[in-house]
Amino acid sequence: MKKDRFETWLQNIYHTQDEEISCTECFDLVSSFVELELSGEDSTAKMPQIKQHLDQCPACREEYETLRDLRRFEDEGGALSLDDLQDLIH
Amino acid sequence: MFDLRTNQEWLRDLNASGESQEHAITDLRDILLRAALFFFSRNLGDFGGLSRDEILQRAEDCAQDALIAVMQHLPDFRGDSKFSTWAYKFAINMALMAARRERWKGVSLDQLSASSESTLSEWVMQDKSDGVAPEQSAMQGEVGEIIREVIEHDLTDKQRRVLLLMVFNEVPMDEVVRHLGENRNAVYKMLHDARRKLKSGLQARGFEAGEILALFGTPG
Repeated sequence: MKKDRFETWLQNIYHTQDEEISCTECFDLVSSFVELELSGEDSTAKMPQIKQHLDQCPACREEYETLRDLRRFEDEGGALSLDDLQDLIH
Repeated sequence: MFDLRTNQEWLRDLNASGESQEHAITDLRDILLRAALFFFSRNLGDFGGLSRDEILQRAEDCAQDALIAVMQHLPDFRGDSKFSTWAYKFAINMALMAARRERWKGVSLDQLSASSESTLSEWVMQDKSDGVAPEQSAMQGEVGEIIREVIEHDLTDKQRRVLLLMVFNEVPMDEVVRHLGENRNAVYKMLHDARRKLKSGLQARGFEAGEILALFGTPG
């Protein structure tokens, strides 16, 4: 295991809570979390359990990051059509 | 630009019948395909052996699966986000699983599991000191031994297997889920329980968070 990965894992161990929400609960709420974040609100303060889960779960985190980036891209006026997106596949 | 309906209009049209519903489903399928293509465009490395047409077909399949999932979960939509944001996550979820399945399709997780025990021993023996003082290096070794003891003696077989695959072999969670025939919640719970035992084990031997993170050069 690489050093930075080991350090992240150690942090995850120590940030473990007795009760953590499940992936399903995170999935249910992640769209609200993303919109809070993009609107400039403190999403972590308002939904701390989602943030905690995203820090611990690599699969949910990757989905969250993609959703956030897609919405951010659109909010900033990035209007890729289906053809544009298909052209990115090569 | 791509989401011209309000949340109420989406629900009304998707729950309608006839032409209104057909148009809404076509539009929904398009935004789901956009989300799948967006994910794929950022993860093309997962599709190394596939042609462009095959990748595009995978995206179409993800959009179709996501469409079915969205329609099944429509009654669950509470309106606390834009409908498109809520729907996107289903397509992204399908796309992530498809991409990881493609990347790991030739890897035997049974073999990886079988070799994980020796991976753990090798990891404990590795020098993590990175040029630090001998005393600090000795403490790092002690931490490595505690971690190995907890993994070998305190975890259940399934917790150990999941931990070694995901943490030490970097296997994506959804591949472990498929391999074990479980679901994400169950695998997450196994990892959560493993982390709790590791945390307790380290604290029981006097290693608190700040000290141990400093020991390995990590700011708290």
